[in-house]
Amino acid sequence: MRDGIAAARLGVPAVSLVTDDFWPQGDFVASSLGMPDLPRVRLPHPVAGTGAKRLEEVAEAIADRIIDALEGKK
Amino acid sequence: MSGVLTAESEADALEHLHALGCTDGLPVVVPTPERVERMQLASGLDADLVLGEMGPGNGVASVRHVAIAAVMAGCLPDYMPVVIAAVQAVIDPRFDLTEMQATTHCTAPLILVNGPARHDCGPIASGFGALGPGHRANASIGRALRLAMMNIGGALPGSSDMALLGHPGKFTYCLAEDEEHSPLPPLHVALGFEAEDSVVTVIGAEAPHSVLSSATGDTAADAEGLLEALAAGLAGLATNNAILTGGCAVVVLNPDHAHILTAAGLDRAGIQARLYERAAHSVGTLKRVAPAFARGKDDSALRYCFQAPEDILVLMAGGSGLYSMVMPSWCAGPHRNRAVSVRIESDQFCALPGA
Repeated sequence: MRDGIAAARLGVPAVSLVTDDFWPQGDFVASSLGMPDLPRVRLPHPVAGTGAKRLEEVAEAIADRIIDALEGKK
Repeated sequence: MSGVLTAESEADALEHLHALGCTDGLPVVVPTPERVERMQLASGLDADLVLGEMGPGNGVASVRHVAIAAVMAGCLPDYMPVVIAAVQAVIDPRFDLTEMQATTHCTAPLILVNGPARHDCGPIASGFGALGPGHRANASIGRALRLAMMNIGGALPGSSDMALLGHPGKFTYCLAEDEEHSPLPPLHVALGFEAEDSVVTVIGAEAPHSVLSSATGDTAADAEGLLEALAAGLAGLATNNAILTGGCAVVVLNPDHAHILTAAGLDRAGIQARLYERAAHSVGTLKRVAPAFARGKDDSALRYCFQAPEDILVLMAGGSGLYSMVMPSWCAGPHRNRAVSVRIESDQFCALPGA
């Protein structure tokens, strides 16, 4: 979330990828830093350590949502 | 959380604080305005003086807010200068508080106290069982910093503090150096302060790891064996220091072990240098254990756990016996979660009438 907010502050379109378990922390950080509406895409948890095949599946599932978020679509 | 809460009774107020998530799970002293004012007055500092912001919630740490944490933790007013200095230490950007509070790693602020404040603002224990129960100053100073990190910094388990398990030092983690019996100069003098200064040094540390050594000092090999055992603890292949490399760590020598090393001709710098040399792993080993983090093509090349010998903080505390302690660190964040030392301004302290 912090990286996404830092990028957004520089005027760079940004979307943060946040897993289920870290979604509340994302809320907290986004609110604390004054950007509660920063675009976010939700990922299953965990992602790290689940293997290349699983990463490809997750990427396939969320790629369009990342593009939509960057284009300002809900 | 701001403003003054009201309750019908002390017991109701305590339950209310628990319900709001403002406690560490244990009962706290209810921070009534009168108690907070006494704590703040003892600091000799203006209640509205801002020490800085505490992440990840970016709460403003005023002296009043820190006094609230100190009251809740059960501190005596005498302890306030140490609590204030500890808060200043974690606010220092080099400490990487925001990232440290949010990490999944188990890390807690270990407060090391040197100088006259160990007695004037305590007593802060440095002998047998100093990190365990029964020492009011150690227990409540460390707890005050934790409550400040939660209630000012906004670190709440599972939502903003994402430690996967945490460790018991997150309740309190405060220790003084046993300067009077140590064969080494005090830690703060080695860090550039004057001997008559009082100083807190705070590091984001794992729980203490015991280091058993039956060295007696009868032979030169004894000191070597002790150094090897300490380095094995510091450079454990499961620690962040070993895998991520860099950052700091702490070695708490017990009196026997401190005397064995100094009798072997080692001063603090010598101990640090010898531990630094031993705290290393080959690239091949790191690739095998932690392939996601290992870097380098030459599998036989060594990766040192620390960037410099001085990053291994060495002090003496605890009772005499077989066991010393090492505390590896989180050692991540933009500044690698540096250990930060702050002078304790105990000359600002005001004795309270009737206290």
